[in-house]
Amino acid sequence: MNRANEIVEKIETLPPLPDTAMKLIRVVNDPRSTVDDIVETIRYDQAITAEVLRLCNSAYFGLSRRITSLNDAMLCLGTVKVLQLVMSVHTTNLLAREQSGYGMDPGVLWKHSVAVALAAAQFAGLLRRANGSLAFTAGLLHDIGKVILNDYVAQEFTIIAQKVTEEGASFMEAEQQVLGFSHQDIGGMIAERWKLPENMVLSIRHHHVPSELDPPNDLVDVVHLADCACLMFGLGIGVDGLCYRADSTVLSRHNLHETDLEKIGVQILVDVKRVEALFTTPPSGDRLQSVGS
Amino acid sequence: MDRVVDIADFAVSKDPRDTLVTYSLGSCIGVAIWDPEAQVGGLLHYMLPESSLSPEKAKSNPAMFADTGVPALFRAAYELGATKKRLVVKVAGGSQLLDDNGTFNIGKRNYVMLRKIFWKNGILIEKEDVGGSISRTLRLRCNGGRLTLKTRDGEREL
Repeated sequence: MNRANEIVEKIETLPPLPDTAMKLIRVVNDPRSTVDDIVETIRYDQAITAEVLRLCNSAYFGLSRRITSLNDAMLCLGTVKVLQLVMSVHTTNLLAREQSGYGMDPGVLWKHSVAVALAAAQFAGLLRRANGSLAFTAGLLHDIGKVILNDYVAQEFTIIAQKVTEEGASFMEAEQQVLGFSHQDIGGMIAERWKLPENMVLSIRHHHVPSELDPPNDLVDVVHLADCACLMFGLGIGVDGLCYRADSTVLSRHNLHETDLEKIGVQILVDVKRVEALFTTPPSGDRLQSVGS
Repeated sequence: MDRVVDIADFAVSKDPRDTLVTYSLGSCIGVAIWDPEAQVGGLLHYMLPESSLSPEKAKSNPAMFADTGVPALFRAAYELGATKKRLVVKVAGGSQLLDDNGTFNIGKRNYVMLRKIFWKNGILIEKEDVGGSISRTLRLRCNGGRLTLKTRDGEREL
């Protein structure tokens, strides 16, 4: 079997997203959805409900009373935060593993994905153009293709690195030249296989080259900016480092300036530290002194 | 013991058992200082050039910006007995995305601001590894002040 076929076949072996995550994506993508729809979607997933309650009751949130139901959690933290928690928890299995081809230790790709998700939600808010929860989810899954491509990048790393350092290719272009696919190509195929909304498929498939789309797509732009910001601030980066192209036409398209990137950067850092602190919290049974910085 | 210096954070130490380490420097810049006589070391990982962007954030977290982080780092080292004229200063980071238009140039501006601060204060950079598009890790051993730089090409002395 040639390598291209092998890679495509490997996509088929990737487990589907958990049922609750899939339903949530559909709910979030539907402008008619209400908070009740979200509660309904999560309610029947006992494992995730338990996890949400555990996280909500962690010392981090410092709530004065115990949260005992999903409705309570929604009221205290807000729907957006609960939704972000659920999606983040649901992607840990997929994204938290070591990606040796990209020089990422266990947890690094997940950290990057969550950072880009939070950043995408911030950019969506800034532009007032894209749905924040959809942007979060698109950001969370933007690098899903790396999970499949990792082994092949590892095999051909020397040639890929050579194309980057000697020929000035971006890491993604080098993947394409050497392996026939880039991680965004593979990510797009996975997203299609999972039947994600079209906007999300596009934002995964084009997150490094948003201007290839005509007309441009706000969600893709948002994920591109979020990815650029997180790469610049070193939030979960591997040996591919910052070897990706930044598309400045996205900034001009939305009338954004360098200082907007910097301001969002400050906010992303606050968000990322919040989430990191949350996920390093031991079960709520333990009495905690402090978490995070 | 490894003491991790997170993004927008700094640490100083005169405990020879300490190793100050900061990971994943992209556009951010790591500033390592070492006083060989007082055996005091410090490491800063700042993310943005100027505190005027958010004076409020700079107050709660000076290590976020070059113009507040660098003075905070030096002051903390002085408190442990370091003196300015003995401090050996080394710098790494300031990477850039591939960007023909130079719009995403936080790395470059981070470096320019650092040079300006050091020039104003008469501080020389002894060694540096700045720019490009790579991720860097800095490790300062407080037992003698050995500083190493790790990139995808391996680890070497800086």
